[in-house]
Amino acid sequence: MSSEIRQKNVGWNLAAYIIMIIFTVLTVGPLVWLLYSSVKPHFDIIRNVFGLPKTFYVQNYVQAWNLAHLGILMLNSIFYSTVATAITTLLALAAGYGFAKFKYKISGFFYFFFIMGLLITVHSVLVPLFVMETRLRIDDTRLGVILPYVAFGLPFSIYLATSYIRGIPDSLEAAAVIDGASYLRIFKDIIIPICTPVVATMLIFSFLANWNELIFVLTLTSKATLRSLPVGVLAFAGGKTRNYGLQFAVLVIATLPMIMFYVFSHNQLARGFAAGALKE
Amino acid sequence: MTEKSLKRVSYTVLTGPAILIYAFIIIFPIVFSLSLSFTEWSGLDTPKLVGLEQYVRILTDPVFLHGLRNILLVVAVSIFGQIPLGFVLAYIIYRRLIVGGRFFETMIFLPITISAVVVAILWNQIFSPAGIYTALMRMIRDDPRYVLGIFESKTFAMVPILFIILWMYTGMYMVIYIANLQRISPSVIEAAIIDGATEGQILGRVILPSMVNIIFTTAVFAISGSLKSFDLIYAMTGGGPAHYTEVIAIYMYVNTFKYYNYGFGSAVSVVIVILSLGLIGLIQIIFRRFERMYEA
Repeated sequence: MSSEIRQKNVGWNLAAYIIMIIFTVLTVGPLVWLLYSSVKPHFDIIRNVFGLPKTFYVQNYVQAWNLAHLGILMLNSIFYSTVATAITTLLALAAGYGFAKFKYKISGFFYFFFIMGLLITVHSVLVPLFVMETRLRIDDTRLGVILPYVAFGLPFSIYLATSYIRGIPDSLEAAAVIDGASYLRIFKDIIIPICTPVVATMLIFSFLANWNELIFVLTLTSKATLRSLPVGVLAFAGGKTRNYGLQFAVLVIATLPMIMFYVFSHNQLARGFAAGALKE
Repeated sequence: MTEKSLKRVSYTVLTGPAILIYAFIIIFPIVFSLSLSFTEWSGLDTPKLVGLEQYVRILTDPVFLHGLRNILLVVAVSIFGQIPLGFVLAYIIYRRLIVGGRFFETMIFLPITISAVVVAILWNQIFSPAGIYTALMRMIRDDPRYVLGIFESKTFAMVPILFIILWMYTGMYMVIYIANLQRISPSVIEAAIIDGATEGQILGRVILPSMVNIIFTTAVFAISGSLKSFDLIYAMTGGGPAHYTEVIAIYMYVNTFKYYNYGFGSAVSVVIVILSLGLIGLIQIIFRRFERMYEA
Protein backbone atom coordinates (compact mmCIF):
# COMPACT_ATOMS: atom_id res chain seq x y z
CA MET A 1 0.00 0.00 0.00
CA SER A 2 2.57 2.54 1.08
CA SER A 3 4.96 1.65 -1.74
CA GLU A 4 2.07 2.11 -4.18
CA ILE A 5 1.52 5.65 -2.90
CA ARG A 6 5.20 6.39 -3.15
CA GLN A 7 5.26 5.16 -6.71
CA LYS A 8 2.33 7.37 -7.59
CA ASN A 9 4.08 10.34 -6.06
CA VAL A 10 7.20 9.68 -8.10
CA GLY A 11 5.02 9.85 -11.21
CA TRP A 12 3.56 13.18 -10.09
CA ASN A 13 7.01 14.55 -9.31
CA LEU A 14 8.39 13.51 -12.65
CA ALA A 15 5.48 15.13 -14.49
CA ALA A 16 5.92 18.24 -12.37
CA TYR A 17 9.61 18.51 -13.23
CA ILE A 18 8.95 18.05 -16.94
CA ILE A 19 6.26 20.74 -17.02
CA MET A 20 8.35 23.18 -14.96
CA ILE A 21 11.51 22.72 -16.97
CA ILE A 22 9.79 23.01 -20.34
CA PHE A 23 8.06 26.17 -19.22
CA THR A 24 11.18 27.72 -17.76
CA VAL A 25 13.29 26.95 -20.82
CA LEU A 26 10.60 28.44 -23.07
CA THR A 27 10.48 31.55 -20.90
CA VAL A 28 14.13 32.17 -20.28
CA GLY A 29 15.58 30.73 -23.51
CA PRO A 30 14.52 33.59 -25.78
CA LEU A 31 15.77 36.13 -23.24
CA VAL A 32 19.17 34.48 -22.95
CA TRP A 33 19.41 34.31 -26.74
CA LEU A 34 18.53 38.01 -26.92
CA LEU A 35 21.16 38.89 -24.34
CA TYR A 36 24.14 37.13 -25.94
CA SER A 37 23.11 37.95 -29.50
CA SER A 38 23.16 41.63 -28.60
CA VAL A 39 26.98 41.52 -28.43
CA LYS A 40 27.35 39.82 -31.83
CA PRO A 41 27.78 41.80 -35.04
CA HIS A 42 24.86 41.66 -37.52
CA PHE A 43 26.50 39.16 -39.88
CA ASP A 44 27.42 36.77 -37.08
CA ILE A 45 23.80 36.68 -35.97
CA ILE A 46 22.63 35.81 -39.47
CA ARG A 47 25.38 33.31 -40.20
CA ASN A 48 25.18 31.40 -36.96
CA VAL A 49 21.90 31.92 -35.13
CA PHE A 50 22.74 29.93 -32.02
CA GLY A 51 26.48 30.61 -31.89
CA LEU A 52 27.87 32.23 -28.77
CA PRO A 53 29.60 35.57 -29.36
CA LYS A 54 33.24 35.22 -30.43
CA THR A 55 34.05 38.73 -29.35
CA PHE A 56 32.28 41.18 -27.15
CA TYR A 57 30.95 43.53 -29.83
CA VAL A 58 30.12 46.64 -27.77
CA GLN A 59 29.70 48.79 -30.88
CA ASN A 60 26.10 47.55 -31.11
CA TYR A 61 25.35 49.32 -27.87
CA VAL A 62 27.26 52.48 -28.67
CA GLN A 63 25.64 52.83 -32.08
CA ALA A 64 22.17 51.85 -30.90
CA TRP A 65 22.34 54.35 -28.07
CA ASN A 66 23.14 57.19 -30.47
CA LEU A 67 21.03 56.20 -33.48
CA ALA A 68 17.89 55.45 -31.49
CA HIS A 69 18.35 58.53 -29.24
CA LEU A 70 18.00 56.22 -26.27
CA GLY A 71 19.34 58.87 -23.87
CA ILE A 72 16.37 61.20 -24.32
CA LEU A 73 13.89 58.30 -24.47
CA MET A 74 15.26 56.90 -21.23
CA LEU A 75 15.09 60.29 -19.50
CA ASN A 76 11.50 60.80 -20.66
CA SER A 77 10.48 57.34 -19.50
CA ILE A 78 12.09 57.93 -16.11
CA PHE A 79 10.39 61.31 -15.83
CA TYR A 80 6.89 60.10 -16.81
CA SER A 81 7.08 56.98 -14.68
CA THR A 82 8.46 58.68 -11.58
CA VAL A 83 6.18 61.72 -11.58
CA ALA A 84 3.03 59.79 -12.48
CA THR A 85 3.78 57.07 -9.95
CA ALA A 86 4.40 59.57 -7.15
CA ILE A 87 1.19 61.49 -7.89
CA THR A 88 -0.93 58.36 -8.31
CA THR A 89 0.29 56.86 -5.06
CA LEU A 90 -0.18 60.02 -3.01
CA LEU A 91 -3.66 60.72 -4.39
CA ALA A 92 -4.69 57.09 -4.01
CA LEU A 93 -3.55 57.00 -0.37
CA ALA A 94 -5.41 60.21 0.41
CA ALA A 95 -8.57 59.02 -1.31
CA GLY A 96 -8.21 55.58 0.24
CA TYR A 97 -8.03 57.17 3.70
CA GLY A 98 -11.15 59.19 2.92
CA PHE A 99 -13.09 56.21 1.62
CA ALA A 100 -12.00 53.84 4.36
CA LYS A 101 -12.24 55.99 7.48
CA PHE A 102 -14.70 58.85 6.92
CA LYS A 103 -18.06 57.20 7.33
CA TYR A 104 -19.82 59.13 4.58
CA LYS A 105 -22.40 57.33 2.46
CA ILE A 106 -21.10 58.88 -0.73
CA SER A 107 -17.75 57.10 -0.26
CA GLY A 108 -19.31 53.83 -1.38
CA PHE A 109 -20.49 55.46 -4.59
CA PHE A 110 -17.09 57.01 -5.37
CA TYR A 111 -15.27 53.82 -4.52
CA PHE A 112 -17.51 51.82 -6.86
CA PHE A 113 -16.79 54.38 -9.56
CA PHE A 114 -13.07 53.79 -9.23
CA ILE A 115 -13.43 50.02 -9.11
CA MET A 116 -15.40 50.08 -12.35
CA GLY A 117 -12.36 51.81 -13.81
CA LEU A 118 -10.47 48.52 -13.55
CA LEU A 119 -12.61 47.24 -16.40
CA ILE A 120 -12.30 50.29 -18.63
CA THR A 121 -9.97 49.95 -21.56
CA VAL A 122 -7.67 52.76 -22.53
CA HIS A 123 -9.09 52.64 -26.02
CA SER A 124 -12.57 53.62 -24.97
CA VAL A 125 -11.36 57.08 -23.93
CA LEU A 126 -8.62 57.60 -26.47
CA VAL A 127 -10.59 59.53 -29.07
CA PRO A 128 -12.30 62.03 -26.76
CA LEU A 129 -9.15 62.38 -24.70
CA PHE A 130 -7.18 63.28 -27.79
CA VAL A 131 -9.82 65.83 -28.83
CA MET A 132 -9.94 67.27 -25.30
CA GLU A 133 -6.19 67.61 -25.01
CA THR A 134 -5.97 69.28 -28.40
CA ARG A 135 -8.66 71.80 -27.41
CA LEU A 136 -6.94 72.54 -24.10
CA ARG A 137 -3.59 72.67 -25.90
CA ILE A 138 -2.02 70.15 -23.56
CA ASP A 139 -1.49 67.60 -26.33
CA ASP A 140 2.19 67.19 -27.08
CA THR A 141 3.16 68.22 -23.55
CA ARG A 142 4.47 66.22 -20.60
CA LEU A 143 1.39 67.19 -18.58
CA GLY A 144 -0.79 65.68 -21.29
CA VAL A 145 0.95 62.32 -20.85
CA ILE A 146 1.10 62.34 -17.06
CA LEU A 147 -2.59 63.11 -16.49
CA PRO A 148 -3.88 59.94 -18.20
CA TYR A 149 -1.13 57.89 -16.56
CA VAL A 150 -2.37 59.07 -13.17
CA ALA A 151 -6.04 58.62 -14.03
CA PHE A 152 -5.59 55.06 -15.26
CA GLY A 153 -3.31 54.19 -12.34
CA LEU A 154 -5.82 55.39 -9.74
CA PRO A 155 -8.40 52.56 -9.77
CA PHE A 156 -5.98 49.80 -8.83
CA SER A 157 -3.98 51.94 -6.40
CA ILE A 158 -7.14 53.18 -4.69
CA TYR A 159 -8.35 49.62 -4.45
CA LEU A 160 -5.11 48.55 -2.75
CA ALA A 161 -4.98 51.58 -0.46
CA THR A 162 -8.63 51.46 0.60
CA SER A 163 -8.65 47.77 1.43
CA TYR A 164 -5.41 48.16 3.39
CA ILE A 165 -6.51 51.23 5.35
CA ARG A 166 -9.85 49.58 6.20
CA GLY A 167 -7.81 47.00 8.08
CA ILE A 168 -6.21 49.62 10.35
CA PRO A 169 -8.03 49.70 13.71
CA ASP A 170 -10.16 52.84 14.24
CA SER A 171 -8.82 53.27 17.76
CA LEU A 172 -5.45 54.43 16.44
CA GLU A 173 -6.73 57.55 14.77
CA ALA A 174 -9.58 58.08 17.24
CA ALA A 175 -6.96 58.73 19.92
CA ALA A 176 -5.27 61.27 17.69
CA VAL A 177 -8.58 63.05 16.99
CA ILE A 178 -9.18 63.41 20.73
CA ASP A 179 -5.69 64.87 21.08
CA GLY A 180 -6.84 67.54 18.64
CA ALA A 181 -4.82 66.48 15.61
CA SER A 182 -6.27 67.52 12.26
CA TYR A 183 -7.27 64.89 9.72
CA LEU A 184 -4.50 65.90 7.35
CA ARG A 185 -2.06 65.59 10.21
CA ILE A 186 -3.36 62.09 10.99
CA PHE A 187 -3.01 61.19 7.34
CA LYS A 188 0.58 62.38 7.25
CA ASP A 189 1.78 61.12 10.64
CA ILE A 190 -0.28 57.98 11.26
CA ILE A 191 -1.83 56.60 8.09
CA ILE A 192 1.10 56.95 5.69
CA PRO A 193 3.68 55.35 8.03
CA ILE A 194 1.38 52.39 8.76
CA CYS A 195 0.78 51.95 5.03
CA THR A 196 4.44 51.42 4.17
CA PRO A 197 4.02 47.80 2.95
CA VAL A 198 1.11 48.58 0.66
CA VAL A 199 2.79 51.79 -0.50
CA ALA A 200 5.76 49.74 -1.68
CA THR A 201 3.43 47.52 -3.70
CA MET A 202 1.57 50.52 -5.13
CA LEU A 203 4.81 52.23 -6.15
CA ILE A 204 6.28 49.18 -7.86
CA PHE A 205 3.07 48.30 -9.59
CA SER A 206 2.34 51.73 -10.89
CA PHE A 207 5.93 52.33 -11.97
CA LEU A 208 6.00 49.11 -13.97
CA ALA A 209 2.72 49.92 -15.73
CA ASN A 210 3.87 53.45 -16.58
CA TRP A 211 7.28 52.34 -17.75
CA ASN A 212 5.83 49.90 -20.26
CA GLU A 213 2.93 52.07 -21.42
CA LEU A 214 2.72 52.61 -25.17
CA ILE A 215 -0.50 53.99 -26.54
CA PHE A 216 -0.87 57.31 -24.69
CA VAL A 217 2.56 58.52 -25.69
CA LEU A 218 1.98 57.20 -29.20
CA THR A 219 -1.26 59.13 -29.72
CA LEU A 220 -0.93 62.15 -27.46
CA THR A 221 2.58 63.26 -28.45
CA SER A 222 4.23 63.80 -31.79
CA LYS A 223 7.47 65.60 -30.83
CA ALA A 224 10.48 63.28 -30.84
CA THR A 225 11.72 64.93 -27.63
CA LEU A 226 8.62 63.82 -25.69
CA ARG A 227 8.56 60.16 -26.68
CA SER A 228 9.11 57.36 -24.20
CA LEU A 229 11.19 54.21 -24.40
CA PRO A 230 8.50 51.82 -25.75
CA VAL A 231 7.48 54.26 -28.49
CA GLY A 232 11.08 54.96 -29.45
CA VAL A 233 12.02 51.29 -29.38
CA LEU A 234 9.07 50.46 -31.60
CA ALA A 235 10.03 53.13 -34.11
CA PHE A 236 13.69 52.14 -34.18
CA ALA A 237 13.90 48.38 -33.74
CA GLY A 238 10.48 47.81 -35.29
CA GLY A 239 11.25 49.64 -38.51
CA LYS A 240 14.15 52.02 -38.90
CA THR A 241 16.99 49.54 -38.72
CA ARG A 242 17.47 46.13 -40.26
CA ASN A 243 20.71 45.58 -38.37
CA TYR A 244 19.92 42.77 -35.94
CA GLY A 245 22.82 43.57 -33.64
CA LEU A 246 21.49 47.09 -33.16
CA GLN A 247 17.93 45.86 -32.70
CA PHE A 248 18.99 43.43 -30.00
CA ALA A 249 21.07 46.03 -28.21
CA VAL A 250 18.09 48.40 -28.13
CA LEU A 251 15.82 45.67 -26.77
CA VAL A 252 18.32 44.82 -24.05
CA ILE A 253 18.73 48.45 -23.02
CA ALA A 254 14.94 48.86 -22.85
CA THR A 255 14.50 45.66 -20.83
CA LEU A 256 17.42 45.54 -18.45
CA PRO A 257 16.35 48.31 -16.04
CA MET A 258 13.01 46.59 -15.41
CA ILE A 259 14.56 43.15 -15.02
CA MET A 260 17.01 44.48 -12.46
CA PHE A 261 14.20 46.34 -10.75
CA TYR A 262 12.23 43.10 -10.74
CA VAL A 263 15.01 41.02 -9.26
CA PHE A 264 15.33 43.51 -6.40
CA SER A 265 11.63 43.89 -5.76
CA HIS A 266 10.47 40.39 -6.66
CA ASN A 267 8.79 39.61 -3.36
CA GLN A 268 6.96 42.88 -3.11
CA LEU A 269 5.83 42.78 -6.72
CA ALA A 270 4.57 39.22 -6.52
CA ARG A 271 2.70 40.03 -3.33
CA GLY A 272 1.26 43.10 -5.01
CA PHE A 273 -0.13 41.14 -7.91
CA ALA A 274 -1.58 38.70 -5.47
CA ALA A 275 -3.03 41.35 -3.18
CA GLY A 276 -4.95 42.74 -6.10
CA ALA A 277 -6.87 39.55 -6.46
CA LEU A 278 -7.05 38.53 -2.85
CA LYS A 279 -10.15 40.19 -1.53
CA GLU A 280 -13.03 39.64 -3.85
CA MET B 1 -15.20 76.13 11.92
CA THR B 2 -17.22 73.45 13.62
CA GLU B 3 -15.92 69.93 14.03
CA LYS B 4 -18.42 68.66 11.46
CA SER B 5 -17.56 71.07 8.68
CA LEU B 6 -13.86 70.62 9.42
CA LYS B 7 -14.29 66.93 8.81
CA ARG B 8 -16.15 67.60 5.58
CA VAL B 9 -13.45 69.96 4.32
CA SER B 10 -10.74 67.42 5.16
CA TYR B 11 -12.65 64.73 3.27
CA THR B 12 -12.88 66.98 0.23
CA VAL B 13 -9.20 67.81 0.34
CA LEU B 14 -8.27 64.15 0.64
CA THR B 15 -10.54 62.60 -1.96
CA GLY B 16 -11.18 65.59 -4.23
CA PRO B 17 -8.02 65.56 -6.36
CA ALA B 18 -8.29 61.85 -7.23
CA ILE B 19 -11.99 62.15 -8.06
CA LEU B 20 -11.44 65.26 -10.20
CA ILE B 21 -8.63 63.78 -12.28
CA TYR B 22 -10.49 60.52 -12.69
CA ALA B 23 -13.73 62.23 -13.72
CA PHE B 24 -11.93 64.55 -16.10
CA ILE B 25 -9.75 61.94 -17.84
CA ILE B 26 -11.98 58.86 -17.76
CA ILE B 27 -15.63 59.47 -16.91
CA PHE B 28 -16.17 62.59 -19.00
CA PRO B 29 -14.45 61.15 -22.12
CA ILE B 30 -16.54 57.98 -21.89
CA VAL B 31 -19.75 60.00 -21.94
CA PHE B 32 -18.29 62.14 -24.71
CA SER B 33 -17.34 59.01 -26.63
CA LEU B 34 -20.83 57.63 -26.35
CA SER B 35 -22.33 60.78 -27.86
CA LEU B 36 -19.66 60.99 -30.58
CA SER B 37 -20.49 57.45 -31.64
CA PHE B 38 -23.81 58.65 -33.07
CA THR B 39 -22.08 61.19 -35.30
CA GLU B 40 -19.94 61.45 -38.36
CA TRP B 41 -16.90 63.58 -37.53
CA SER B 42 -13.46 64.11 -38.98
CA GLY B 43 -12.21 66.12 -36.01
CA LEU B 44 -12.25 69.45 -37.86
CA ASP B 45 -15.80 70.17 -39.02
CA THR B 46 -18.83 70.07 -36.73
CA PRO B 47 -20.04 66.56 -35.88
CA LYS B 48 -23.03 65.46 -37.96
CA LEU B 49 -25.66 63.35 -36.27
CA VAL B 50 -26.13 60.02 -38.08
CA GLY B 51 -27.92 57.90 -35.49
CA LEU B 52 -26.90 54.26 -35.43
CA GLU B 53 -25.26 54.32 -38.85
CA GLN B 54 -21.71 53.88 -37.47
CA TYR B 55 -22.76 50.80 -35.52
CA VAL B 56 -24.38 49.30 -38.62
CA ARG B 57 -21.20 49.96 -40.59
CA ILE B 58 -19.06 48.31 -37.91
CA LEU B 59 -21.19 45.23 -37.53
CA THR B 60 -21.32 44.62 -41.27
CA ASP B 61 -17.59 45.17 -41.87
CA PRO B 62 -15.79 41.86 -42.48
CA VAL B 63 -12.57 43.36 -41.12
CA PHE B 64 -14.31 44.09 -37.83
CA LEU B 65 -15.85 40.64 -37.70
CA HIS B 66 -12.45 39.03 -38.26
CA GLY B 67 -11.03 41.28 -35.52
CA LEU B 68 -13.84 40.18 -33.25
CA ARG B 69 -13.05 36.55 -33.98
CA ASN B 70 -9.38 37.20 -33.23
CA ILE B 71 -10.10 38.90 -29.93
CA LEU B 72 -12.39 36.05 -28.90
CA LEU B 73 -9.47 33.72 -29.62
CA VAL B 74 -7.32 35.82 -27.28
CA VAL B 75 -10.03 35.63 -24.61
CA ALA B 76 -10.26 31.86 -25.09
CA VAL B 77 -6.49 31.39 -24.79
CA SER B 78 -6.46 33.54 -21.66
CA ILE B 79 -9.27 31.66 -19.97
CA PHE B 80 -8.59 28.12 -21.16
CA GLY B 81 -4.80 28.46 -21.47
CA GLN B 82 -3.30 30.94 -19.04
CA ILE B 83 -5.59 30.17 -16.13
CA PRO B 84 -5.25 26.34 -16.11
CA LEU B 85 -1.53 26.48 -16.94
CA GLY B 86 -0.92 29.15 -14.32
CA PHE B 87 -2.81 27.03 -11.85
CA VAL B 88 -0.85 23.88 -12.66
CA LEU B 89 2.45 25.71 -12.25
CA ALA B 90 1.32 27.32 -9.01
CA TYR B 91 0.12 23.99 -7.70
CA ILE B 92 3.43 22.31 -8.47
CA ILE B 93 5.33 24.98 -6.56
CA TYR B 94 2.84 25.16 -3.71
CA ARG B 95 2.74 21.39 -3.12
CA ARG B 96 6.55 21.29 -3.38
CA LEU B 97 6.43 18.60 -6.04
CA ILE B 98 9.79 19.94 -7.19
CA VAL B 99 12.92 21.35 -5.62
CA GLY B 100 13.78 24.99 -6.25
CA GLY B 101 10.25 26.28 -6.65
CA ARG B 102 11.35 29.81 -5.86
CA PHE B 103 13.80 29.82 -8.75
CA PHE B 104 11.22 28.55 -11.24
CA GLU B 105 8.66 31.04 -9.96
CA THR B 106 11.04 33.96 -10.49
CA MET B 107 11.99 32.85 -14.01
CA ILE B 108 8.47 32.19 -15.25
CA PHE B 109 7.27 35.54 -13.93
CA LEU B 110 10.03 37.42 -15.76
CA PRO B 111 8.16 38.27 -19.01
CA ILE B 112 5.58 40.34 -17.08
CA THR B 113 8.19 43.00 -16.43
CA ILE B 114 9.11 43.36 -20.11
CA SER B 115 7.31 45.88 -22.27
CA ALA B 116 4.99 44.37 -24.88
CA VAL B 117 6.88 46.27 -27.56
CA VAL B 118 10.13 44.52 -26.67
CA VAL B 119 8.38 41.16 -26.49
CA ALA B 120 6.85 41.74 -29.93
CA ILE B 121 10.13 42.64 -31.60
CA LEU B 122 11.99 39.83 -29.86
CA TRP B 123 9.49 37.23 -31.09
CA ASN B 124 9.43 38.70 -34.56
CA GLN B 125 13.16 38.04 -34.55
CA ILE B 126 12.72 34.52 -33.26
CA PHE B 127 10.25 33.72 -36.06
CA SER B 128 12.26 35.56 -38.74
CA PRO B 129 14.42 33.60 -41.24
CA ALA B 130 17.43 34.46 -39.02
CA GLY B 131 15.72 33.53 -35.77
CA ILE B 132 16.05 30.58 -33.40
CA TYR B 133 12.60 29.17 -34.21
CA THR B 134 13.46 28.96 -37.91
CA ALA B 135 16.90 27.52 -37.17
CA LEU B 136 15.40 24.88 -34.88
CA MET B 137 12.76 23.90 -37.41
CA ARG B 138 15.37 23.69 -40.15
CA MET B 139 17.32 21.26 -37.99
CA ILE B 140 14.27 19.19 -37.05
CA ARG B 141 12.84 19.04 -40.57
CA ASP B 142 16.24 18.78 -42.19
CA ASP B 143 15.12 21.46 -44.65
CA PRO B 144 17.58 24.38 -44.89
CA ARG B 145 15.02 26.55 -46.70
CA TYR B 146 12.24 26.33 -44.14
CA VAL B 147 10.59 29.64 -43.22
CA LEU B 148 7.52 30.24 -41.07
CA GLY B 149 4.59 30.77 -43.42
CA ILE B 150 1.78 30.73 -40.90
CA PHE B 151 1.25 34.51 -41.00
CA GLU B 152 0.05 34.20 -44.58
CA SER B 153 -2.84 32.02 -43.51
CA LYS B 154 -6.00 33.93 -42.62
CA THR B 155 -7.13 31.09 -40.36
CA PHE B 156 -3.91 30.44 -38.47
CA ALA B 157 -2.06 33.77 -38.50
CA MET B 158 -3.11 34.34 -34.86
CA VAL B 159 -1.48 31.14 -33.58
CA PRO B 160 2.01 32.55 -32.92
CA ILE B 161 0.47 35.61 -31.27
CA LEU B 162 -1.69 33.46 -29.04
CA PHE B 163 1.38 31.50 -28.05
CA ILE B 164 3.23 34.69 -27.13
CA ILE B 165 0.27 35.89 -25.07
CA LEU B 166 0.47 32.61 -23.18
CA TRP B 167 4.22 33.11 -22.80
CA MET B 168 3.81 36.64 -21.43
CA TYR B 169 1.02 36.34 -18.92
CA THR B 170 0.90 32.80 -17.54
CA GLY B 171 3.44 33.78 -14.89
CA MET B 172 1.14 36.45 -13.53
CA TYR B 173 -1.68 33.98 -12.95
CA MET B 174 0.78 31.57 -11.41
CA VAL B 175 1.91 34.14 -8.85
CA ILE B 176 -1.65 35.13 -7.97
CA TYR B 177 -2.58 31.49 -7.43
CA ILE B 178 0.52 30.74 -5.35
CA ALA B 179 -0.33 33.59 -2.99
CA ASN B 180 -3.88 32.35 -2.62
CA LEU B 181 -2.95 28.69 -2.27
CA GLN B 182 -0.71 29.68 0.61
CA ARG B 183 -3.77 30.97 2.46
CA ILE B 184 -5.30 27.49 2.60
CA SER B 185 -4.62 26.07 6.04
CA PRO B 186 -1.96 23.33 5.78
CA SER B 187 -3.69 21.28 8.48
CA VAL B 188 -6.64 20.64 6.16
CA ILE B 189 -4.34 19.10 3.58
CA GLU B 190 -2.42 17.10 6.18
CA ALA B 191 -5.67 15.68 7.47
CA ALA B 192 -6.60 14.63 3.95
CA ILE B 193 -3.24 12.92 3.47
CA ILE B 194 -3.61 11.03 6.76
CA ASP B 195 -7.05 9.90 5.57
CA GLY B 196 -5.25 8.39 2.57
CA ALA B 197 -6.26 10.94 -0.05
CA THR B 198 -4.29 10.82 -3.31
CA GLU B 199 -2.73 13.87 -4.89
CA GLY B 200 -5.67 14.00 -7.29
CA GLN B 201 -8.22 13.88 -4.49
CA ILE B 202 -6.46 16.62 -2.54
CA LEU B 203 -6.59 18.79 -5.61
CA GLY B 204 -10.18 18.07 -6.54
CA ARG B 205 -11.85 17.95 -3.14
CA VAL B 206 -9.79 20.27 -0.95
CA ILE B 207 -7.96 22.82 -3.03
CA LEU B 208 -10.12 23.58 -6.06
CA PRO B 209 -13.30 24.34 -4.07
CA SER B 210 -11.49 26.99 -2.04
CA MET B 211 -10.04 28.56 -5.19
CA VAL B 212 -13.31 29.14 -7.09
CA ASN B 213 -13.53 32.80 -6.10
CA ILE B 214 -10.01 33.65 -7.09
CA ILE B 215 -10.33 31.83 -10.38
CA PHE B 216 -13.41 33.91 -11.08
CA THR B 217 -11.53 37.12 -10.31
CA THR B 218 -8.67 36.16 -12.58
CA ALA B 219 -11.13 35.24 -15.33
CA VAL B 220 -12.50 38.78 -15.13
CA PHE B 221 -8.93 40.09 -15.36
CA ALA B 222 -8.30 37.82 -18.32
CA ILE B 223 -11.31 39.11 -20.21
CA SER B 224 -10.72 42.80 -19.63
CA GLY B 225 -7.00 42.31 -20.26
CA SER B 226 -7.64 40.45 -23.52
CA LEU B 227 -9.97 43.07 -24.90
CA LYS B 228 -7.33 45.67 -24.15
CA SER B 229 -4.65 43.73 -26.04
CA PHE B 230 -3.19 46.19 -28.45
CA ASP B 231 0.48 46.86 -27.73
CA LEU B 232 1.77 43.39 -28.52
CA ILE B 233 -0.10 42.83 -31.78
CA TYR B 234 0.32 46.42 -32.92
CA ALA B 235 4.09 46.19 -32.43
CA MET B 236 4.35 42.72 -33.92
CA THR B 237 2.21 42.78 -37.04
CA GLY B 238 0.26 46.04 -36.94
CA GLY B 239 -2.80 43.85 -37.54
CA GLY B 240 -1.45 42.64 -40.87
CA PRO B 241 -0.92 41.02 -43.23
CA ALA B 242 -4.21 42.06 -44.83
CA HIS B 243 -5.93 42.45 -41.42
CA TYR B 244 -5.36 38.76 -40.63
CA THR B 245 -4.13 39.49 -37.10
CA GLU B 246 -6.17 42.61 -36.53
CA VAL B 247 -7.99 42.95 -33.21
CA ILE B 248 -10.76 45.42 -32.42
CA ALA B 249 -8.50 47.85 -30.56
CA ILE B 250 -6.19 48.13 -33.59
CA TYR B 251 -9.22 48.48 -35.86
CA MET B 252 -10.36 51.39 -33.71
CA TYR B 253 -6.92 52.97 -33.61
CA VAL B 254 -6.37 52.82 -37.35
CA ASN B 255 -9.81 54.15 -38.25
CA THR B 256 -9.53 57.01 -35.82
CA PHE B 257 -5.95 58.17 -36.04
CA LYS B 258 -5.10 57.19 -39.61
CA TYR B 259 -8.42 57.86 -41.37
CA TYR B 260 -9.75 60.48 -38.93
CA ASN B 261 -13.16 58.87 -38.52
CA TYR B 262 -13.70 60.05 -34.96
CA GLY B 263 -17.37 59.11 -34.85
CA PHE B 264 -16.63 55.65 -36.19
CA GLY B 265 -13.72 55.15 -33.78
CA SER B 266 -15.89 56.18 -30.84
CA ALA B 267 -18.55 53.69 -31.88
CA VAL B 268 -15.91 50.94 -31.97
CA SER B 269 -14.77 51.82 -28.47
CA VAL B 270 -18.36 51.69 -27.22
CA VAL B 271 -18.60 48.23 -28.78
CA ILE B 272 -15.42 47.21 -26.90
CA VAL B 273 -16.90 48.33 -23.57
CA ILE B 274 -20.22 46.55 -24.23
CA LEU B 275 -18.42 43.39 -25.27
CA SER B 276 -16.23 43.43 -22.20
CA LEU B 277 -19.18 43.95 -19.84
CA GLY B 278 -21.15 41.24 -21.66
CA LEU B 279 -18.38 38.66 -21.37
CA ILE B 280 -17.81 39.48 -17.71
CA GLY B 281 -21.55 39.07 -17.09
CA LEU B 282 -21.45 35.70 -18.81
CA ILE B 283 -18.49 34.55 -16.70
CA GLN B 284 -20.33 35.66 -13.58
CA ILE B 285 -23.34 33.49 -14.47
CA ILE B 286 -21.11 30.48 -15.11
CA PHE B 287 -19.29 30.86 -11.82
CA ARG B 288 -22.53 31.26 -9.86
CA ARG B 289 -23.43 27.82 -11.20
CA PHE B 290 -20.08 26.43 -10.06
CA GLU B 291 -20.49 27.88 -6.60
CA ARG B 292 -23.91 26.33 -6.25
CA MET B 293 -22.50 23.03 -7.46
CA TYR B 294 -19.89 23.04 -4.70
CA GLU B 295 -22.38 24.12 -2.07
CA ALA B 296 -24.69 21.24 -2.97
